[in-house]
Amino acid sequence: MEIALAGNPNVGKSMLFSQLTGVGVIASNYPGTTVEYSEAKAKFMGLTLTVVDLPGTYSLAGNSDEERVATRLLTERRSDSVIAVLDATRLERNLVFLFELIEAGYSVVAALNMYDLLRKSKLEVDVPKLERILMMPVIPTVATKGEGVDSLLYTSVQIRRKSGFAVRYDSHIEGMIKELERVIPSEEGGPPVRSVAIRLLMGEQSVIDRASDVAKQLSERFRDEFRRTHGEDIVVHIQRDRFGEAGRIAGEVLGRAATYRTRKSIAKDITLRPATGIPILFGVLALMFVILVFFGGLLEGALVHFYEHTGGVFFHDLGTRAENHLASGILDGISLSIEAMLALVIPYILVFYVMLSVLEDTGYLVRVVSLLDGVMHRLGLHGRAVIPMVVGFGCNVPAILSTRTMGSRRERLILATLITIAVPCSAQTAIIIGAVGKFAGAWWALLIYVILMGMLVVLGLVLHRAIKFEPTGMCIEIPDMRWPSAKQSAIKTYIRLKEFLTIAFPLLLAGSIIIETLLAYGVLQSLLRPAAPFMISVLGLPSIAAVALVFGVLRKEMALQMLMVLSGTGNLALVLSNHQMFVFALVMAIFMPCIAAFAVMLKEFGLKSTVGVAAASMALAIATGAFANLLLKLN
Amino acid sequence: MDPEIIEQYLKIIYKLTEEGGQAKTSDIAAELDVAPASVTEMLHKLSAKGYVKHEPYRGVVLKSKGKKIATKVTRKHRLLERFLTDFIGVKGPTTHQQACKMEHALTDEAEQSLCRMMQHPDKCPDGREIPKCERGISCDKCTSCDVPLSEMREGETAVVSHLISRDNDELCSMLSMGFVPGSEIKIEKRIPMGGPIIINLKGTKVALSRTRGDVLHVIRAG
Repeated sequence: MEIALAGNPNVGKSMLFSQLTGVGVIASNYPGTTVEYSEAKAKFMGLTLTVVDLPGTYSLAGNSDEERVATRLLTERRSDSVIAVLDATRLERNLVFLFELIEAGYSVVAALNMYDLLRKSKLEVDVPKLERILMMPVIPTVATKGEGVDSLLYTSVQIRRKSGFAVRYDSHIEGMIKELERVIPSEEGGPPVRSVAIRLLMGEQSVIDRASDVAKQLSERFRDEFRRTHGEDIVVHIQRDRFGEAGRIAGEVLGRAATYRTRKSIAKDITLRPATGIPILFGVLALMFVILVFFGGLLEGALVHFYEHTGGVFFHDLGTRAENHLASGILDGISLSIEAMLALVIPYILVFYVMLSVLEDTGYLVRVVSLLDGVMHRLGLHGRAVIPMVVGFGCNVPAILSTRTMGSRRERLILATLITIAVPCSAQTAIIIGAVGKFAGAWWALLIYVILMGMLVVLGLVLHRAIKFEPTGMCIEIPDMRWPSAKQSAIKTYIRLKEFLTIAFPLLLAGSIIIETLLAYGVLQSLLRPAAPFMISVLGLPSIAAVALVFGVLRKEMALQMLMVLSGTGNLALVLSNHQMFVFALVMAIFMPCIAAFAVMLKEFGLKSTVGVAAASMALAIATGAFANLLLKLN
Repeated sequence: MDPEIIEQYLKIIYKLTEEGGQAKTSDIAAELDVAPASVTEMLHKLSAKGYVKHEPYRGVVLKSKGKKIATKVTRKHRLLERFLTDFIGVKGPTTHQQACKMEHALTDEAEQSLCRMMQHPDKCPDGREIPKCERGISCDKCTSCDVPLSEMREGETAVVSHLISRDNDELCSMLSMGFVPGSEIKIEKRIPMGGPIIINLKGTKVALSRTRGDVLHVIRAG
């Protein structure tokens, strides 16, 4: 049998999910959206249960992607039982969500989660009374400690019946519902007629699309009539009645009308005050960076060492035995891609993803988003754009994918452009740190970051002016700061890494094979040869650096190795001056990171925009490099 | 094109089609006291911009884009006529002429306050109907003590009075978070640098960007 978990965001739903299930979580994106949901199997009393974790939403009315996915999953999967995860400390709002589930005719069991926090504020819910009012089982749980989880599972397996509870709306609305019910045919196994009527009145698009013409016209007439006579939209009144009912019930079962939780005021939150919040943000970013370089480096060393002695040797032997340009080209491509993956992508991305999920789970990221929202608006972006940008420091491929959470295509395109050009990914960071930082000194490396930051701001302002539009305003809940859970961070990291590997790796592999094949036939060399003198004169780089640069456009992750191979030494200071190293790294950092990023952009934004961004990044990189070269020569 | 001229034309078309039917070029020309040829030329421009639907030799009707502007200007015009006649005693045809000039300068806020001050008149001095405002609330709820949330200061408490939004998704998502009329809120913090407003809604902290703050209209407590 199947159980679905539904609830508001930040109620501990995912925590409960990981308590209910064991290993083997499958996360999927709902087709056509980026909304994630997970499912896993659980063994209970000799039964194998499938547990589906729906995206956290405030409502099932289908006004956002998450809501639409949650609603569609509920209707499509027809789970045998739905567990409504409620935050016991915010009973009123959570009851409204529960009302929607009951109204829609699901067999619901309520988990009164975070019950320990309620007790801590010396409050108690009269659970039997709540069960009597709602006519359904209610189980207090503490997901963080696993309390009440067994009894919750037991109840949802044993008791499968629909509650007879219904919210009564004001008489005018009830009258409209009655009349609508008459024209809505009842379907076997479908949603209750009353629920369809209410959703039609609320103007829910997915319900309107399925309704008969008569029902459609009648509900449209009712909505207009209501707006005329009451001067307000009917949804306002429906929601007000639901909250009124929820408030009444909450007051009754809590003994007093206190749904308030007395806690530290957010005004004192130092992460939200610019004077302290911004230094903290920089501190966190710097710490992330250090961890990334240190742990990533350790992992990289181990993985590469392992690969060179196993896979590398294997492919090399295969290649020499083939004695064929094409075959050895392809084999080299495969081998190099795997090595690049092991050397750069996996270690850094893995470490990065772990840190990202920790930041998310503590509730810090939401605070950064709020802190920077105003500033981001000036760059033509939403505060949420901070997240893809931070992801972009790891790898541009998931960063471009995660721009999907932004409102409009224009907003996404601005963000993706900023990320590809001005946010250095881990491969670009490797060049900045590994070449400039190591040989020319930390100040030169820092200067590159300063230039990139400046470029981010200027580019954002320019794009915002050029592509005129207002970013959509944000409305998000700020949860309390809390300790992250290791298990949840692990699950999140695993899901993201898997998504990354399935999307980026094939692209990287295909691109590498093509390039290696072209190299094997000498096609690329002859194409690139005319470009080399130009690079030398404009950028003031020696010819080997110019060649590495051009190859680096195609395979940024290999540019540093390429440079070392071409110069025949690991000590780059012997072949490049500090200035040259600086120009080299600067150009590399601005260029579009790699063909995988190009391919992902192509998939997301189409050929015209992608080529435009690629060309712009190339032009900007060369112009900046040439300018830097000119300035440095003057000194 | 001068926006004032666009507004003027749309207003005339609104008036001529108020009781249904189409506005004729000759009638528009007569109202504006200009040559029919220049009216025809203007109508082409307006129809190219999607404000009106123009069928040669038959007439012109407003499209929804044009109707929105026309309704607003007409509303301002007729409110101003009412004001000039009833409140300061201007008489004769100059009422209309003055209102024609003032209507373009009047801001939406001033229009609202004017409507409130005159206790929501529904007819202009000529007996024509004053179009309703776009606020989506009833006149008895339209009081001067409600303010958009963005005007609230840190630490103040208030009660949600109504929500104004043309966007159903926005309206519904804010409602389902618990911003329903009657709920108590407290402004916890206004993040500087144009950042969001952090609201305490029954113990839940919600960050709301300033632009969205105008969806919520509240009445200050105390």
